[in-house]
Amino acid sequence: MAWNRLTPAGRVLAVLLPVLAIGGALTTALLVAFGGAIAATIGANLPIVRFLVASVVTFLISVPVAFLLIYMEMKIIALMNLRIGPDRIGPAGAVMSVVHGLKVLMKEDYTPPSVDVPVFTLAPVVVYLASFMTLLVIPFAPELTSMGFELGLLYFFAIGGLSVVGLMMAGWSSFNKYSLLGGIRAAAQAISYEIPLTLSVVGIVILTGTLSLPKIVAAQDGSFLDWFIFRQPLAAIIFFIAITAEANRTPFDNAEADQEIVAGFATEYSGMRFGFFFFAEYVNVFIVSALFSAVFLGGSNPPIHIDLNPQILIDLSALGIGLPLIAGIAPVLGTLLFAAPIWFASSRIKGWQALVAGFLIFGGVSTAAVGIWAFVMLPPVASLIWFLIKTFALVFTFVWMRGTLPRARIDQLMGFAWKWLLPASLLNIFATAFAVLIAGR
Amino acid sequence: MPRIPGAGLVSGMRLTLTRFFQPKRTVMYPEVKPDIAPRNRGRLELVTDEHGTLKCETCFQCAQACPIECIDMGGTDTKGRFAVHWGPAEQYAERREESAMRRSGRTVSDAAAATGATINIAKVDEILEAHDYDPHHMLAILEAIQGAYGYLPVDALKRVSRATGAWYAMVYGTATFYKHLAFEPGVTRSIAVCRCANCLVSGAGSVMGTLSYEFGTEFGRAIPWSNLRLESLPSHLPDAPSPLVVIDGEPQRDLSAKNAASWAAALAGRYAA
Amino acid sequence: MRPSLDDPRVAIPAESTWYEPAPTPQTERQAEFLSLREGEMFVNMGPQHPSTHGVLRVIIKVNGEKVVDLDPVLGYLHRGVEKLCENADYHQAICYTDPLEYVSSLFCEAAPVAAFEKLMDVDVPRRAQYIRVLTMELNRIASHTLFQGWMALDLGGITPILWAFIERDEIVDMLAALTGQKLLYNYYRIGGVNGDLNHEFMSRLGTWMSRAAAQIDSNLALINENEIFVRRTRGLGVLDAKTALKMGVTGPNLRASGVPFDLRRDRPYLVYPELEFDVPTRDEGDSLARYLVRMDEIKQSIRIIDQVLHEMPDGPVMAKLPRLLRPRPGRAFGAVEGPRGVYGTYAISDGTDQPFRMRIHDPSFVHLQLVGPLTKGNLIADTMAVMASLDPVMGGVDK
Repeated sequence: MAWNRLTPAGRVLAVLLPVLAIGGALTTALLVAFGGAIAATIGANLPIVRFLVASVVTFLISVPVAFLLIYMEMKIIALMNLRIGPDRIGPAGAVMSVVHGLKVLMKEDYTPPSVDVPVFTLAPVVVYLASFMTLLVIPFAPELTSMGFELGLLYFFAIGGLSVVGLMMAGWSSFNKYSLLGGIRAAAQAISYEIPLTLSVVGIVILTGTLSLPKIVAAQDGSFLDWFIFRQPLAAIIFFIAITAEANRTPFDNAEADQEIVAGFATEYSGMRFGFFFFAEYVNVFIVSALFSAVFLGGSNPPIHIDLNPQILIDLSALGIGLPLIAGIAPVLGTLLFAAPIWFASSRIKGWQALVAGFLIFGGVSTAAVGIWAFVMLPPVASLIWFLIKTFALVFTFVWMRGTLPRARIDQLMGFAWKWLLPASLLNIFATAFAVLIAGR
Repeated sequence: MPRIPGAGLVSGMRLTLTRFFQPKRTVMYPEVKPDIAPRNRGRLELVTDEHGTLKCETCFQCAQACPIECIDMGGTDTKGRFAVHWGPAEQYAERREESAMRRSGRTVSDAAAATGATINIAKVDEILEAHDYDPHHMLAILEAIQGAYGYLPVDALKRVSRATGAWYAMVYGTATFYKHLAFEPGVTRSIAVCRCANCLVSGAGSVMGTLSYEFGTEFGRAIPWSNLRLESLPSHLPDAPSPLVVIDGEPQRDLSAKNAASWAAALAGRYAA
Repeated sequence: MRPSLDDPRVAIPAESTWYEPAPTPQTERQAEFLSLREGEMFVNMGPQHPSTHGVLRVIIKVNGEKVVDLDPVLGYLHRGVEKLCENADYHQAICYTDPLEYVSSLFCEAAPVAAFEKLMDVDVPRRAQYIRVLTMELNRIASHTLFQGWMALDLGGITPILWAFIERDEIVDMLAALTGQKLLYNYYRIGGVNGDLNHEFMSRLGTWMSRAAAQIDSNLALINENEIFVRRTRGLGVLDAKTALKMGVTGPNLRASGVPFDLRRDRPYLVYPELEFDVPTRDEGDSLARYLVRMDEIKQSIRIIDQVLHEMPDGPVMAKLPRLLRPRPGRAFGAVEGPRGVYGTYAISDGTDQPFRMRIHDPSFVHLQLVGPLTKGNLIADTMAVMASLDPVMGGVDK
């Protein structure tokens, strides 16, 4: 039979193509028939649809973010240790963390006997959910906020605090003393540090009069001197220390102190369930960095406003049918343009090598050109780039701290939170309120 | 000394940041081979001389002396009769036994000594009993076994090693060292060709070849139809002609490279008679 | 045949509890240790645990985070080295003692060699003595740099260990050029050393010495001034001089308690009396003091190496000895000051070529006894800090 002669890819296609054809036809028919009703329903429930789309998008971007951060951590700490770090898979080992993810996915997902199975299974879900749900309110750019609602900051602290429930669940259900200690440590630490964390931003809330993150970012518009890190330096320091503890990062990573309690709450986890904890940790690092840059570093505002006022405006629509022609012919011409000097430079270079090099150079140059064009012409792109620069600078700082500092002891950690950070944050609130009272009104 | 709190942390952070940009110390192993000192003792290998021949004489001394039993050697002896092994017991099925047994002395294991016993081993036990299982009396034990059986059966040797605790290679070495100890049944006499320089010049090589061909055997093995064993003589006898062939210590005078074939035929005829 | 999991002897019955029944206490101390009060639980650390320095098992009785009681369980690495040495001749015995403390194995060789040389009245050539001092001090630096890395790692810093290994690798590579091995050198012989200094070793040593002091200082700056590190170790696990002497503590751990006892100066051996060096001591007796004393010793070792290189005499490196060594019946004790304390070997000869009895004293074993008294009342994390600062090596403890 013909089926037997097909390759595996061919078999997949042979099944898929009819299904797609029928599905496409059905969808078209349904859309034609009930399109108006569907549009009306979506239009009537726009917030729900928006929330669903935003959740899916944040979930989808959280995984690559985790991969990127894991790679950064491996590579930066390696370089600080005078090692090279990952360098085999991908350019400079950049795909290493993806391969790690695949490895975690392929490992056996083992549930030890005597664990509390439902809680044990739910714990990583809760932790990961808490992480990526907080991504929803991060104002990447004024136009690029998933859910820019009014209580964004409060929502962030509330949902962020939920992750400790997951850690406690993991610690309790694992039926392991190390896990238990790790879960308890995580809970104690999170509760202690959430208070200075929340209190430290009260000063900013007093100054801006809002809890909405996009509005806080907008309040820092102007030069870099308008950023809250310069107007509220004490709050910034407290906030930074507190988010380090919240994200369980060195020197406050007591909950998973591998020299003391092996892997803390994650001791009994394996496979993808461990992977969720692992990813959640790095998504958390990204989120707290993003929050710090939004609240204290001006978010998507550039340090100095330079009004470029681009005068060269190319109206692409004026080209008409020529636009696809140029889009088609430009890569070929560009490749040849960059390949020619390479080919002429040395007789030892073969034609195809010159072509490949030319294509790569053209790719780089055109990407840079498009990037610069987008940065200049499209405000959201510029804002996003500024936001990501600040966020990743903070991520680098976290990794840098991990590469440098030893771990604080749990009692010193708690003492620091209650004896120093809490009074300092209260002092900050009073000082800010006093200043606002004197100067403002 | 009052310090700014956090100054140590900041200076540490500065140090790691400078190291971040410093050249790295990783050795990219498969591409860059590590720099191994010429004096390195880490690798065991057989050394060859300038002609490409192995320098190892298979004296087993390295394996015997190795305190942690990491060197092992195996193969057949020079006469091609017996497999001789030296090394950790895990490597050889016939010597597989408990680690404790191996550590206490490398004797032949029970399993190896028990299999394939074609002789009545009781006599060996009696002899061993008479000598109080003392490995210092090894020669006397082996002579007694030779007297009892007429030759040294392999199973008897294994039994001796097993019972006295002497290492099998030592028992075997003692047995091969003395010429009057034989490994084949019925061999009481020996016919030996001298391999000294003088004899080789006057044709001992061709004599050896002829005898080996005529007797249908190899050097070191018994001649099938007789109680003779064909051997090579380590050193020349005084007042003896060249080439020298010795039967039981008596030099044969009417022999040269040319008439070796007829001499061998005559000897065979005498035996047949 | 491998047992199947369905085998009733192997399968664990569903109704069985997952708690192991507590063992019946044999002694009063054990009964006290095994009795749990309200809120207490046992936490078992090791023998597979990230920070027990090998295969040490520590049973910790905790109340929350507080360590109430602690019981180290030894013997997971026991090889019976003493017995093996008694079944080997005097040369072979040296290579058995090599892997006792694999971090600083030259000292483990030096002690039995010293004992055997006393047993046989061998005069070691002066050049061999200088080479021994040189290699031992190099090994001391290698051990102490590694200690620095482990100490930081046990407190959660991940960078110092890799920097420490860079320094240790250089030393170990140069010793490999001299002795032929990187870890278990087997370099000292009765009556001298195995092979003279060679060009490879000297050139590597020269390049290393030119930047060693500065590099090690720079490495130390990462954690020596670090507030977190200092806060975690200062005042932790204080060992007073009286207890230390009573417990038989030696080496840097004793000197950190203020007792300036150093075998190199107080019971001189080899050419140490001719060399000029200080014995660094501290009075605090806490983990930080133990750490800092070791770091000061690195500097003194570099000073000794410098002097040794300047005063190295010419001559043979091996005394003339018969191949088979049969000392007269008698007994001898040889000891050297190692990076962890006094390594001693007591050997009895009965006139044969094998030692009749050989007893090895290892400082790590003594120091491990301190983990219990020093950690009680502290937190779980402090157990690691105390244990790391005592710097035991399980190869030597379990022998």
